[in-house]
Amino acid sequence: MKIYNKTINKYLIAILFTSVLATACEKRLDVFPTSSISDSKALLSEGDVLVTLIGTYDGAQAATVYGGDIMVLNELIGNGENINFTGTFAGLADAYKAQMTANNGNASGTWASAYTTINRANNVLSALDKVTSSATKKSSVEGEALFLRGSLYFELVKLFAKPVGDGDYAANPGVPLVLTPTGNVSEADYKARATVKAVYDQVIADLTRAESLLPSSNGIYATKWSAAAQLSRVHLMLKNYAEAGAAANRVITGSGKSLASDIDKNWFTYIYNGGTTPGEYLFSIKVTAQDGTNALSTYFGRTISGISGSAGRSDCKIKAAHFTQYETGDKRKDFFVLSGGNYYTKKHLDRLGDVPVVRLSEMYLTRAEANVRNNTSVGATPLADVNAIRTRAGLPALTTATLAAVLKERKLELAFEGQGLPDAKRLQNNVGLLSWNAPNLIMPIPQREMDVNKKLVQNAGY
Amino acid sequence: MRKKLLWSLLASCLFFGTAMAQNSTVNGRVTDEKGDPIVGATIQVKGAKGGTTSNNDGVFTIKAANGASITIQALGFETKTVAAAANLNVKLVTDVKALSEVVVTGFGGSLIKKELTGNIARVKGKDIEYMPTPSVDAALQGKAAGVFVNSQSGKLGQAVTVRIRGNSSISASSQPLYVLDGIPITSQDQSTYGGDMNPLTDLNPNDIESIEVLKDASAGAIYGSRAANGVVLITTKRGRAGKTQITLNLQSGQSEATKRVRMLNSTEYNELAMEAAKYSDDAESIPYDDPYSYTQYMKDIMSYHSYGQWDKDKAKSYDWQDQAFQTGQYRQADLQIKGGNDKTKFFSSFQHLDQGGTIRSNELSRTTGRLNVDQKANDWLDLGVSLSLSRIYNRRLPGDNAFSNPLQSAALLPMSPFLDPTTGLPNGTPPGDVNVGLYFNPRIQIDYAKYTQDVYRTFGNTYFKAKLLPGLTFQTEFGLDFLSQNEERYYQTQAVRNTSSPRGEGVNTGAFITNYNTNSYFNYNKLTAKHNFAATLGMQYQQSQAKYNSVTGTDFPSDSYQKIASAATKAGGSSSQSDFRFLSYFLRSNYTYDEKYIISASGRMDASSRFGKNSRTGFFPAVSAGWILSNEKFLSTNKYLSFLKLRASYGIVGNSEIGNFPQMGLFTGDAGYAGNAGQRPSQLRNDDLRWETTNQVDVGIDFGLFNNRISGEIDYYVKSTDGLLLNVNIPATTGFSSMVKNIGKLENKGYEFVLNTQNLVGAFKWTTNFNVALNQGKVTDIQGQVIEGGVGSMNRVQEGYAIGVYYTAEWAGVDPANGNALWYKNTKNADGTIDRTTTSVFSQATRVVTGNPNPDVILGLTNSFSYKGFDMSIFFNGVLGNENNIYGMGRYSSASMRYEDNQTYDQMARWQKPGDITNIPQARLFYNNGAQISSRYIVDGSYIRLRTASIGYTFDAKKLSKFKLEKLRVYVSGQNLLTFTKYPYWDPEVNADDFDSNIAKGNDFYTPPQPRTILFGVNINF
Repeated sequence: MKIYNKTINKYLIAILFTSVLATACEKRLDVFPTSSISDSKALLSEGDVLVTLIGTYDGAQAATVYGGDIMVLNELIGNGENINFTGTFAGLADAYKAQMTANNGNASGTWASAYTTINRANNVLSALDKVTSSATKKSSVEGEALFLRGSLYFELVKLFAKPVGDGDYAANPGVPLVLTPTGNVSEADYKARATVKAVYDQVIADLTRAESLLPSSNGIYATKWSAAAQLSRVHLMLKNYAEAGAAANRVITGSGKSLASDIDKNWFTYIYNGGTTPGEYLFSIKVTAQDGTNALSTYFGRTISGISGSAGRSDCKIKAAHFTQYETGDKRKDFFVLSGGNYYTKKHLDRLGDVPVVRLSEMYLTRAEANVRNNTSVGATPLADVNAIRTRAGLPALTTATLAAVLKERKLELAFEGQGLPDAKRLQNNVGLLSWNAPNLIMPIPQREMDVNKKLVQNAGY
Repeated sequence: MRKKLLWSLLASCLFFGTAMAQNSTVNGRVTDEKGDPIVGATIQVKGAKGGTTSNNDGVFTIKAANGASITIQALGFETKTVAAAANLNVKLVTDVKALSEVVVTGFGGSLIKKELTGNIARVKGKDIEYMPTPSVDAALQGKAAGVFVNSQSGKLGQAVTVRIRGNSSISASSQPLYVLDGIPITSQDQSTYGGDMNPLTDLNPNDIESIEVLKDASAGAIYGSRAANGVVLITTKRGRAGKTQITLNLQSGQSEATKRVRMLNSTEYNELAMEAAKYSDDAESIPYDDPYSYTQYMKDIMSYHSYGQWDKDKAKSYDWQDQAFQTGQYRQADLQIKGGNDKTKFFSSFQHLDQGGTIRSNELSRTTGRLNVDQKANDWLDLGVSLSLSRIYNRRLPGDNAFSNPLQSAALLPMSPFLDPTTGLPNGTPPGDVNVGLYFNPRIQIDYAKYTQDVYRTFGNTYFKAKLLPGLTFQTEFGLDFLSQNEERYYQTQAVRNTSSPRGEGVNTGAFITNYNTNSYFNYNKLTAKHNFAATLGMQYQQSQAKYNSVTGTDFPSDSYQKIASAATKAGGSSSQSDFRFLSYFLRSNYTYDEKYIISASGRMDASSRFGKNSRTGFFPAVSAGWILSNEKFLSTNKYLSFLKLRASYGIVGNSEIGNFPQMGLFTGDAGYAGNAGQRPSQLRNDDLRWETTNQVDVGIDFGLFNNRISGEIDYYVKSTDGLLLNVNIPATTGFSSMVKNIGKLENKGYEFVLNTQNLVGAFKWTTNFNVALNQGKVTDIQGQVIEGGVGSMNRVQEGYAIGVYYTAEWAGVDPANGNALWYKNTKNADGTIDRTTTSVFSQATRVVTGNPNPDVILGLTNSFSYKGFDMSIFFNGVLGNENNIYGMGRYSSASMRYEDNQTYDQMARWQKPGDITNIPQARLFYNNGAQISSRYIVDGSYIRLRTASIGYTFDAKKLSKFKLEKLRVYVSGQNLLTFTKYPYWDPEVNADDFDSNIAKGNDFYTPPQPRTILFGVNINF
């Protein structure tokens, strides 16, 4: 029957068509991402480890960490004395008023980005055996990862825990210590806060080993001197003045760096120098048009019509009270710009400028402070060191170096660079009307973390 | 779709027709009211077995004894019984009763509403045509019970929230699956800047014949792992045999924003600001005349931002909303041509739409054309093609949270003039002082920057349908959906304060999405006097690939150069790709016995590239049953009750809209630093990841009274979702904030009522369509997770509550003694009771649930009237029982001078002296007195809106014939004409785009309101 044959043909067509489609499709479900790669293929070679190290720097570059927020917070918290903060970012506005709440956005942002970066460093450290091209390379990679990890734990413990000297730092809660890369999340990843002492011990271990491993020069990346400089700060916080002075001395004598002839040379790194890192910087974060944000510029900066490339939200207006601290003739007093009736620091006008983490001039002041306190002359006399800074600022040399004189230079030299709050806390100076150990000068453990991880204890007052 | 059922009817009739007893021959023809042939009408002789069907010319032949009754039935027409005669000309009348509608069920299936056992809401294309809503999803608002639509803002072409029977996911998408003529289409946002855009704008709503919303599991199971949020089947118009019909519709009109918010004028602002500054000076013991006092600061601010004008004229005031709003112009032309013969049928359309937004610089235009052709190739093969091409141009607005959002100009100081008196250019434009204007003046962005989006969209579909055996067909469809999008942003040098790019900035991005889909399936139908059996068996494969690229350039030679070729610095660039694939097999069968008892079963196997390797394939079954009581003897004679059916369904459906590759542990290579490439761990692995599973039970009653002049539906459903695809928060100390797991359960329960009545059926016709739905959603288990989102992270997912409830301190008003803001402590006492005392120390107040952005009740009410040539339609929709969060703007502008922002007028009622009873705390400059996150900013978002109203007149056809016109209708229509609400800001129908997520709903952040549009139109048939 003709109809029957036609039907058979139709059936055949239908069945063949369906089965061809079905079999062809089954395999097609195995589709892989092209913008990302599987974690099992990510850390197999030296090249993989090196790019993960770059990723760690990228983490540190986040605006919420060394992109500048850490420094911004260390200037803003409770600092109504020097700054009139008129910004609308509630996290910063509340920090400025020392009225933070547990869900402060900057607390959670900085916390999360710091640990994201630490996890990247831990990934690098877990795969060091893949770095086989040379022992030097391996040392450098390990040193850089340890430097970044140690530095970030140092920043976290300063922001989120009681300062050293307030009660027993071996009992006070610091921040959770995570030292291995995160794989499958288990109960062990829900960590309690280690003590402040335990965190400092880890920071010292990381930075000390980093200093021993890192090369003397390393392009834009961390060097031996970056680690030593950071270590000098750590010891200063711990009041280990001899170690602090010794570390600063190693930087001054070993790094081959010298103070810039003029303070201007340390700033406008992009606007005037096309992005060359100033010689005085011991470690800084690069910001380019393609990558990174200078958060110090975001909040302290302002678009000034005479300075092409200047930018910022004009949030931090410098108060008159700040200027009364300078002596006449201090070049640093003139390093401000008047715009729209308010003063702004010139340090952070450059949107694409390097974000300085630590500069050489601080090492002179740290060595001077250590020597004054211990009545020593490690490397140089405190008078010589303090005068080096004063002369550069256009001020007459002092004849005696008192502790007060050294600390005053330190305050003015490092103004609005993120050392204000840590220095106030270690020197036990009042911050505005608040005592150095006021609980509201400590950032809250982010509410989100408290909610997720029941092992965490909140700071007092939140 | 309809034809397929008819074909099968035809086939089965032939099959069973051979054994019939015969008498004399009746030759007849079946036509509609216009005289066009009705194809596939069933003709049966009463008392005899079997019957026949009409052919493509409507002609049939049947044997019948003279005088015997012949019944003629056709889908969509009222059944007619006539006495047998040698030559019969039967004219059938269109059946307008809801119960007789044919409902599309997907994959070639269709059913008469009467015989439906699942829950499918049908919206006719006619009900939404020529509405000034550019996308079909927005047009669904209030039209189908249980379908919640929130247009989110008045920005043109932006995404719309659609929730079918509540929100059934936390982290995965909760939007329904959209299927256009059998192809699941791309409906997710593709924009790179500002709020989400809406890819459904690319479809001309006037091309739509019908929209079927598959709500319950029995209707949706055939879409398996993609049906948990409901499925929206969109069927476009097809041609039909007969005279070619040409329809031209022209409409034009204007839009205005529905509302403005009353802000302070200069005098009021000055009064409040000085009072606030005085408080702060007093609090810090600063003399008012100190150059660094708050008082002096505020005077300087008012002087500075007014270019010194304020010093001379303190009353001069500017309403900055004038700079945001404009009158939008609307113009639209539609041309539709349809026709065909017994072999070829076609429908074609053309549309051009120009819509101006009610916010300055917002524009949308769409040019689209469609051709749908069906061809009968031979006696066993049909084939066809549908093709729609469209181009959409959208000049878009920045996200709500951008300083350049025009509505944020409401926060600028009222003494700040629109124009810089020194240059005559907008306030803050260089070469004038760029820092004038408390914030960046959005007008600069309107005048000196542009953000445009061009979309080229192709929807194409071809099909072959073979008749294999009587009742058995095989159909293969191949569909494609191409979306090509180019976005361009260019900021001239004048926008420097916003961009920080003093020499101009340009961004160009592309998105290319190719989405292929094939369906192949068998349909079998067998119809006898008592038994009716239908089955569908088939497979579907879909593959989608998205490719994106972008480039950013800065430093242009001048503002005349706006393309990135001229950018001296290529500041950024990127390209990426993402894929997903689905392979599915499905089965569906229906059996009806004696038009009384109906059972149906369906199922689908879904495998997807999105699932973990340990759980790649899922099975989604559903069953349903119905009992038509009115066909039982004990009810069939009831005078009033014309129809009564009980139905119930149960099934399992899934949700797999979690993005691509959510199951894999990933590193991403975007972690470069200072020009060197870097990688970072970016996602944690989960090999067990699978779809979310929703079990849904639905029971319903369909009824008809008074010969179905009154008909309706009542449904009760319970949707329980488990294995939620949850972005589970993990400690940030792991280096990740969340990972995707199948954790948690939630539930939606609700009622739906539909009532359609033909109130008057004489010369004056009046029909009413009413639907109302009550849904209660509740998260039952998320294993103690806390998931937050929205403005101030105020939306939260919390066990025992609906998704996205507001979790804040509870506002307790103002202390009459000192003007302090107060909150309820709400802490737990030792005895377990709650401490309801108040505190002025914010940190002492415990957060509690203070509101819910999800409505309790949604409703739609349409009344249509016609008398002679006049027709009128009035449509209200309502959303009741939800709260909105106004903290986005409130923290700045209803905040007792927390910042310098201009304040809303209600702030004038602030506390001033001991004893004042008010809800507005004392104004304290830069002090936080009540602007903290609390229920003060959670407000009632209920509204009832006169969504559309139209009135038209159709001229007498006889008078028109001399002009060669068949029909001429003129009309006026309006949209969003009235809103009844207590909402204090612009629009209660709001959802700030920059915060939008499943969790973050109901937020207002200077969000533009809906437009009120009035259109004049003319509709002509040739």
